[in-house]
Amino acid sequence: MTWKTKSTAAPDSTTILRGLVSNKRVALGSQVYNRILETLYDEAAALDERRIDDWIAMIAQDIIYQAPIRLTRTGPNRDRDVMRTMFHFDEDYGSLLMRTGRLQKSAWAEDPPSRCRRFITNVRIAECETPGEYEVVSYLYLERSRGDSPENENTTAERRDVWREVDGGYKLASREIIVDQSVLGMSNFAVFL
Amino acid sequence: MCMTRINYKKMHYRENAQMLQKSKLVLRDGTSLDDLVMRESNEVSLRVMTDEELYHLEMEKIFAKTWLLLGHESEIPEPGDFIVRDMAEDNVIVARSQDGEVNVSLNVCPHRGMRVCLGEAGNKRIHQCIYHGWAFRPNGDFIGAPVEREKMHGNDVDKKTLGLKKAKVHLYGGLIFATWNVDGPSFDEYLGDIKYYMDQLFCRTDNGLELLGPPQRFTLPCNWKVPGEQSGSDGFHTLTLHRSLMEGGVMGGTAESIYDQAPGMYGVDVSCKQGHSLRCLEAEKTFKMFADVPFEGKSTRERLELLTPPGITKEMIPELFRNLSEDQVNQLATIPPQVGGLFPNILIAFIFAPRTDGGSSGALALHTYVPKGPGKVEFVNYIFAEKDAPEQMKRDMLQNSVQQTGTSGTIEQDDADVWPVIMKNARGAVSKGITLKYQALHGHERPEGWVGEGLLYPGFTKDDTQWNWWLAYYDLMDAV
Repeated sequence: MTWKTKSTAAPDSTTILRGLVSNKRVALGSQVYNRILETLYDEAAALDERRIDDWIAMIAQDIIYQAPIRLTRTGPNRDRDVMRTMFHFDEDYGSLLMRTGRLQKSAWAEDPPSRCRRFITNVRIAECETPGEYEVVSYLYLERSRGDSPENENTTAERRDVWREVDGGYKLASREIIVDQSVLGMSNFAVFL
Repeated sequence: MCMTRINYKKMHYRENAQMLQKSKLVLRDGTSLDDLVMRESNEVSLRVMTDEELYHLEMEKIFAKTWLLLGHESEIPEPGDFIVRDMAEDNVIVARSQDGEVNVSLNVCPHRGMRVCLGEAGNKRIHQCIYHGWAFRPNGDFIGAPVEREKMHGNDVDKKTLGLKKAKVHLYGGLIFATWNVDGPSFDEYLGDIKYYMDQLFCRTDNGLELLGPPQRFTLPCNWKVPGEQSGSDGFHTLTLHRSLMEGGVMGGTAESIYDQAPGMYGVDVSCKQGHSLRCLEAEKTFKMFADVPFEGKSTRERLELLTPPGITKEMIPELFRNLSEDQVNQLATIPPQVGGLFPNILIAFIFAPRTDGGSSGALALHTYVPKGPGKVEFVNYIFAEKDAPEQMKRDMLQNSVQQTGTSGTIEQDDADVWPVIMKNARGAVSKGITLKYQALHGHERPEGWVGEGLLYPGFTKDDTQWNWWLAYYDLMDAV
């Protein structure tokens, strides 16, 4: 990724949401669709059950994992609101390992751990140009219970993934998490989305 | 008790320490400011975190009075560019006008109180309220209302008086500061003695800093003073709350030797009566990866070559000498300011941030803790790089800052977990009477050969700078 700084005020075409880009759709209910959907459910379960090594095993070593910030815009640039110059997460494989390694020791933000439910819906899949890679767009609804608070923290997001077929399974090769809040209601992202 | 008194006299910046005047600020239930911020014993009642009446007084006496940080001018380079930010609960438009000036005006239509600007950023020559159509220039001046011949604003009121309310603006190293206290202290008076040290971070290169993207924003269920008092250079919490920095091999020490080696604890804390502070730390005594770098007997320039300050490249070293005094560069090369804060609600982290790939291009971040009611604060995280830094370095620095500070930062996600719990405690009938204690005081002491001014606390980090933060709080709250 080359880097060019853009001012906060400047509108630019990289800030459009996009969604599913490829038009080679994988039909809902097809074998590939079902297996990828199953993988998404397995991934959510690994994270919810805090089997963090199982989650790392589902990730490709060249992963790009980012959560751009959202901005409220009006007028002709109202749809250019995904700021891909600033992130809540900006990760590669090494930094994800650093984060998960930290969780094993004194990461007070997750000790005691959050009790999370990741609800994955609205899954749409298409073939990428690279054979064996699939563009997977899903909605995430995260409910997070902390300590003795009876009020859950929650957030919603769209995830734009690439899953790669490896040894009969699928590995996560990239994820862009597009959160819906411009000001997060959650006090940190100490959990993965 | 006797010891406390001696320490107190030693550290207090007022000369006449024994003749403390009682505050005239008394809450409705008879509680005085002196019962909340106890200058005799260096304690603060936990009640200050929840009290509604106190919160409203803070909004008037602190946030409507002092200088507040709103962003960076690199966010709005073109005429008409604007961003919308908050001065506590007052929403403002920060806009560049045709003459190139940066203006800050209240985002409240003087007609019926609607927000004039509903987006967070963009470019507009005219800001028109969507309710009744009143229109304003980027500098806040009133242009007119629709159906000009019918004078929706009436016949008797001069159009000149119908502009958006304007704040006084000051740019410092490109940072945009504003205040409603138009006749109040100048920005330099507000900064005081800390300016000498701040210049080493914000005014050291030819083209200055730029913001890498719009700030991260998230909310925490706690009072603004919970993170606020920590921004007064709380050094000591690093050893325990942020022990994962030692466990992960970033700072010196190991999981077993954290308290023996105490990395990052020894240095010089600098402060001033305005409540600002910075912790100046020698890199080789703080970070594991610099421990073996041979600094002994090296000149300033040689040291800068061996270990350039966070965010600076070797190519930029001559710029440091052009923009700073020799003494300032010397400090930057030996014991640079790294973390600290500006009163009331700014945290500064210009840190070395060693990377997993062995590099250390640093992380430059500023936060504001914006009050959103007695029990809510918005954490705004601004991430910077030097404008002249190479693209790859900016990319690395963005990643460093995101991974260590703000929303998901492995350092600050632990802070965000502590603060709301302190807030919960402050509500209990008994708990709210518990005091925060700032009784580990070193006292002002000038290290040998030290050049800068201000209140100086060499050695192991203590409570002095945070206590100065509370004294600055006391001063503003006490003012009539």
